[in-house]
Amino acid sequence: MQEAAGRLVSNTKIGKDARVMKILCDAVARESEPGHFVMIAPTGAYDPLLKRPFGIMDADPPYIWVYYQIVGRGTRLIGEKRRGDTLSLIGPLGNRFPERERSTILLIAGGRGIAPLHFAAKRYAEKNKVYLVYGAATGDDLHLGERLPRLGIAKIYEYTEDGSRGSRGNVCLDLPRIVATHGIRDTFSCGPDAMLQALAGHLDGKTENFISCEAIMGCGFGICHSCIIKTVTGEYKKVCTDGPVFRLEEIAW
Amino acid sequence: MVNLSVDLGFITLKNPIIPASGTFGYGEEFSEFFNLDQLGGLVLKGIFLNARNGNPSPRLSETPAGLLNSIGLAGPGAEALKPVIHRLARMTSTPIIVNVCGETDEEYLQVARCFDDMPEVKILELNISCPNVAAGGRCPAQSDSHTYRLVSQVKQRIRTPLMVKLSPNVADITSVAKAAEEAGADSLSLVNTFLGLAVDLRRRRPVFHNVVAGLSGPAIKPLALRMVWEVAQTVSIPVIGIGGICSGKDVLEYILVGASAVQTGTINLVEPGASLRILREMKDEMHRLGIGALDQLRGTLSS
Repeated sequence: MQEAAGRLVSNTKIGKDARVMKILCDAVARESEPGHFVMIAPTGAYDPLLKRPFGIMDADPPYIWVYYQIVGRGTRLIGEKRRGDTLSLIGPLGNRFPERERSTILLIAGGRGIAPLHFAAKRYAEKNKVYLVYGAATGDDLHLGERLPRLGIAKIYEYTEDGSRGSRGNVCLDLPRIVATHGIRDTFSCGPDAMLQALAGHLDGKTENFISCEAIMGCGFGICHSCIIKTVTGEYKKVCTDGPVFRLEEIAW
Repeated sequence: MVNLSVDLGFITLKNPIIPASGTFGYGEEFSEFFNLDQLGGLVLKGIFLNARNGNPSPRLSETPAGLLNSIGLAGPGAEALKPVIHRLARMTSTPIIVNVCGETDEEYLQVARCFDDMPEVKILELNISCPNVAAGGRCPAQSDSHTYRLVSQVKQRIRTPLMVKLSPNVADITSVAKAAEEAGADSLSLVNTFLGLAVDLRRRRPVFHNVVAGLSGPAIKPLALRMVWEVAQTVSIPVIGIGGICSGKDVLEYILVGASAVQTGTINLVEPGASLRILREMKDEMHRLGIGALDQLRGTLSS
């Protein structure tokens, strides 16, 4: 974890409000693992004040890649940045998905939740058998669909709510069957809260289930206590430093 | 060479930069970013007698050049903080300041006494001004008489120098400042956050469960600077300026209006190394302005 300046190499539009940034920042890239995130400043000034959190989609030193959607003023300003611009960032932050070898892993991605799972697919596919379930509202929202086949994923299942690509429905639709068919031992998931919440009802308890949570954050490194999530024991945990990766069964929805 | 040291009477700080409570964790988190010895001091996150979970989500809402928070002082409780302080004191020689909280006058006293016998704790900052504890944002620092009663009660029972943290949510901050001084405060720190409101237009409801929340960040600097200026002219104990400090120039402005030292706040959340950058900028600015020591600048605002 460190404060660093990154040089923006590219900020490529890959969908209506979706972009992928390639950032030159060796110090952060070298320490990045699947599940980690970075905080990036929207401006060099103080309005908006806070940095924004982004899951790391890929790292290959000296570069990291960040996939993001423009959802508000901060991400809109980041979307306007150009090649050569300097970005103020802090990272890598948070915990990571657990290390695995010779496991059979199912990645479950909802919408922009694909970001850390893209990185996980790349890092885990060599030593594990990796499958992916990827869902979004429409085919156009499966922004990383074209980039996934090169990651060594054994099979990709796609779902859209409108049926415009893959199967019609959400990522939970065929989960028990997919888990049974491939003998899945671990699941890594990332997506909207409603999706993560729904997963519990579709995973039968024979798999180890890890989820990466999203939260509005103040600092990203454990100081402000803003990004809390409630656990089944009733205590709050910080998404930024206790997570963002938690066990599915640990969270009280 | 410029002289950055600050003599508060009861302690001399190597420089006037002190990260504020709630923006610097328990200190050790920041040792990953820089050597804490370079700070003038540091204030730990506010502590109550018992562990607190804090307020439910949401706890934060961004505003133009600022943010509203309703954290509710989540923390481990006084006894659990002691080993953290031992660890921190082994890590740095920078003076450690404990931010003392309470829901009742009795609790403030109990928490203060808990740390009074720890040689590692150089100053107790009595946080009588947090807007996120009681309903409606009420706090002792909104009443002269409550401030006097609470500060004198604590002061009589402790030996550690006492810094009293004031609220800006009053009509006349100088009268509360005088009450704290008369009650025996060794110094004052001001200001805590401004009471603000964020609403959800679609749902027609407040954003925060506690309805009101505390505003901080660069947005409040002129308001806080005015209050520090008023108080510094009123009391004779040292005043520590807090509010929206982001640059070395900001620090010198607070010193100019009469502050002895400052606390950096929200900027620490955005830029963990901010306090050191601010210190560097302050030295450069002093060179540029031909100021050899902070004493030459302090309280020299002419109007």
